[in-house]
Amino acid sequence: MRRAALYAGVTVGALVMLFPFTWTVITSLTPGAGLGTPDLIPDEPGLDAYRTLLDAMPFWRILANSLWIAVASTLLQLVTSAMAAYAFARLDFPGRNALFLVYLATLMVPMQVLVVPLFIEMRELNLVDTYAALLAPSIASAFGVFLLRQAVAQVPIELDEAATIDGAGHLRIFVSVVWPLMRPALATFAVLAFMSSWNSFLWPLVVIRSPELMTLPLGLSTLHGQFTTEWDVVMAGSVISIVPIAVLYLAAQKYVIQGVARSGLK
Amino acid sequence: MAHPIRLGTVAAAATLLALSACSQGSATREDSGEDGQVVVRYMEFSSNGGNEQHLEEIAASFERENPGIDVQIETTPYADYFTKLQTAVAGGTEADAFELNYENFVTYAESGALAELDVDGGAYTPSLLEAFQHDGAQLGLPESFSDVVLFYNKDLFAAAGVPEPTADWTWEDERAAAEALTDTAAGVWGDYQPATFHEFYKALAQAGGQFLTEDGSATAFNSPEGIAAATWLAGKSGTVMPTEAEGAGTPDFDSTLFREGKLAMWHSGIWMFGPLADVPFEWDVVVEPGDVNQASAMFTNGVVVSANSEHPEEAQAWLEFLTSSDTTVDTRLNAGWELPPIADQDKLAPYLEQTPPANRQAVFDALEETVLPPVIVRQQEMQDAVTEELGNAAAGRKTVEQAVADAAARVDELL
Amino acid sequence: MSTSTAPRTQRQLPPSPPPKRRHRSTLRYGGNRLRRAGIVALFLAPSLIPLTLFTLVPMVSSLWVALHDWNLITPMEFVGLANFRELLTDGDTWAAFGHTLGYIAGYLPLVYLLGLAAALALNTALRGRNVFRAAYFLPVVTSWVVVALLWRWLLSPANGLVNHVLGLVGIDGPGWWTDPAWAMPSVILASAWKDLGFVMIILLAGLQAIPGELYDAARVDGTSAWQRFRHVTLPLLSPSTFFVVVISLINGFQVFDQVYVMTGGGPAGATEVVVQQIYDLTFRYGRAGDASALSWLLFAVVLVVTIVQVRGQRRWVTYA
Repeated sequence: MRRAALYAGVTVGALVMLFPFTWTVITSLTPGAGLGTPDLIPDEPGLDAYRTLLDAMPFWRILANSLWIAVASTLLQLVTSAMAAYAFARLDFPGRNALFLVYLATLMVPMQVLVVPLFIEMRELNLVDTYAALLAPSIASAFGVFLLRQAVAQVPIELDEAATIDGAGHLRIFVSVVWPLMRPALATFAVLAFMSSWNSFLWPLVVIRSPELMTLPLGLSTLHGQFTTEWDVVMAGSVISIVPIAVLYLAAQKYVIQGVARSGLK
Repeated sequence: MAHPIRLGTVAAAATLLALSACSQGSATREDSGEDGQVVVRYMEFSSNGGNEQHLEEIAASFERENPGIDVQIETTPYADYFTKLQTAVAGGTEADAFELNYENFVTYAESGALAELDVDGGAYTPSLLEAFQHDGAQLGLPESFSDVVLFYNKDLFAAAGVPEPTADWTWEDERAAAEALTDTAAGVWGDYQPATFHEFYKALAQAGGQFLTEDGSATAFNSPEGIAAATWLAGKSGTVMPTEAEGAGTPDFDSTLFREGKLAMWHSGIWMFGPLADVPFEWDVVVEPGDVNQASAMFTNGVVVSANSEHPEEAQAWLEFLTSSDTTVDTRLNAGWELPPIADQDKLAPYLEQTPPANRQAVFDALEETVLPPVIVRQQEMQDAVTEELGNAAAGRKTVEQAVADAAARVDELL
Repeated sequence: MSTSTAPRTQRQLPPSPPPKRRHRSTLRYGGNRLRRAGIVALFLAPSLIPLTLFTLVPMVSSLWVALHDWNLITPMEFVGLANFRELLTDGDTWAAFGHTLGYIAGYLPLVYLLGLAAALALNTALRGRNVFRAAYFLPVVTSWVVVALLWRWLLSPANGLVNHVLGLVGIDGPGWWTDPAWAMPSVILASAWKDLGFVMIILLAGLQAIPGELYDAARVDGTSAWQRFRHVTLPLLSPSTFFVVVISLINGFQVFDQVYVMTGGGPAGATEVVVQQIYDLTFRYGRAGDASALSWLLFAVVLVVTIVQVRGQRRWVTYA
């Protein structure tokens, strides 16, 4: 009886969560759709919007740029954040708590106000309108350091000690003891880091001007006209932009679940 | 056991990608084009949303005539254009030439960011050319113009047995027709005109009022005329026009309503001609009804040369071609894009022959009595303040008198 | 080796660990001071260098901008602390902070409770729980640009789905985002909906780290489900809760996207939040100096709130 209630509750919740996505998909399949209530099953469903989308921009190039930048920044952030997390959780050094607060402080000034100084800095470095400029602000992530610090803290310190007895230094311990045991957290962070790069808009908007370097959110923004917008095309773009993150999430979920399955063995 | 996300692999891949980021993509564009051409960069917004091809055609045509110049177009959607432009200007990396709407032109001109142009202005409609002068200097060229007319659904008028609007309609005629045409049970609304800054300064002129005093030092719209204009606009909401709660103000709400045949009269710009070409009902346009005066809103975009440009002559040559060449006129007319700012009305004849709407002459008739938006240095703050206060009146959160008085007080603070 | 080994001796952070544990820590007394500094530098440099270059330097520059009048077009003009003085005496600033605090006060409890409920429900041996988890996470990965428009429509007072459903059960729905009193709750509702999946995955990871033996032991003691939740789950989940609260507060103070698309700060300024003002000041009003000053006021508030939490965590956060 309680199980049935649980199932019912979880299912209703899932429908509420999924509804907007369903709405997006249906609108994208309804040629000429406006914003508002689409028919649940469009009269004449069609892929016109997707075709328009492919014609409206150098779509594959834009997709490749976005993927490339998102993958690179995710991998970089995984490594740089995990290392810093290890330092904050396992090494004792003067000013550690203060430095951690400095890391957190980098999250506290809104991007809207950093964009102009950062842009001027990029001009000084001669990096305006380059991939490097797109990547630069997302090499490291204080959010990731914080998230992974909590994960390192959950790795039993006896394991470090055992490794030390075997003569391992911090680098060895990090590489072969801590990193493998952090995988659920790493997988979670990978999804979030990828998503943050993938959806990033303001910084690419100002720093990129060559069409060849455009990322997906920039490309999709061109679908909003000054006076009118073809909503079915916008929704098609939205659907396409969700797919890679959804795939990544499903792939990452495997690692998160693995952690559960293992703890279930005990 | 295999570790698919081994640290070494991740680190190696990350390093590889980071390094290739630094090697690839840097300096994608050189300052000199192929064969020692001069590169003129041009930032703009108005081709976004369907006219990108047409702008490319104009540029290609210019480059054929000027083989020494390579025009590089950088298009950004209107919503984000000024964010990008301002950041570029702050960093000193703005394009040689860029587009500005009339309201923003003043800010840039006052800031000394624009190069003075040396043009023979004979090709342009004089009033449009003058709009881009500042302290006696020609700091920009008009690029296009458009105006606002009254769109109406002929089928709805016929069904309700209401006579169609004519050029000598006044607010009273519009109000009476709107009431007769509104059929809330059928979801049909008589009228649509949002209570915003852009409608208000125009309605104010129609009522015979002034937005600012002659010397521009204070507001003048907290007057009987101002209250009449605000009452006219705010009174529509909920009576003959959907309220905010019913969706008004949501993006594309009004155009969708008109396209679906559920809106009898609509105050909108001539840029909607193209999007409405294929609707399954008869529609036409007429000059907007006035009150004691006739007054139509005119919008004009201009193009300017940056004071920092290293190639001001080439940039100016491109802008002259872009704004007044026959190629541009033909391209704009054929595409149904906003109209070219040229003086020679004969060249605009093909525009009048297209339908719908049948009464395209209204586009030019409206130009006989136009009103430009008041422009101050803190323009956007003024527009936001006026729109917010009028919105309060339309939603019934304030009386019209209170809203007008509050708007005037807020704008006075900005002057 | 199993990851389920109970993390009995985790080090507490940031409070100093008891001396005994310090003694048992690895390598701490091995090697000389220089070598230890080198190791710390090795682990921190990859993140500290880019963060300094690409975040801290622009932050400091923006503090410099805050001391100037600057419309981004003409050269900057030094005005000292005038921008701060002006902002602190401007009612709009206080109103924006008030609205932002109101947002946080509604959003944080709601998103945490919903996320916790989802995490608890989906941590059970439910069939198809992976599908459910994916469904709950989906809104997190969508972009506000589209989703906020959808919520605007769902919460449309006259023809939105929510009021329609409320009408079916005889409730006369409110004016949502058109009513100054209901606009912020509308934004909070949409935000909690979008972010609860984020809270869920963080808490799920935390739940999975709780050793099953503790529950077994508690059951043997004859405890009720509520007691187990109260005395085992909640305390052991506290590190994850701490993370969620700190991050949600930092992000909550910077709420912007959903407000911008859903209400644009209206109606009658009821949802005008701090970052919206910062955006308007910088890019629409040509007042970059004021915008920078405002963001440093925001920074000061967030920093104090965060320090209070970090200091306070030792009272309620248990690292196993």
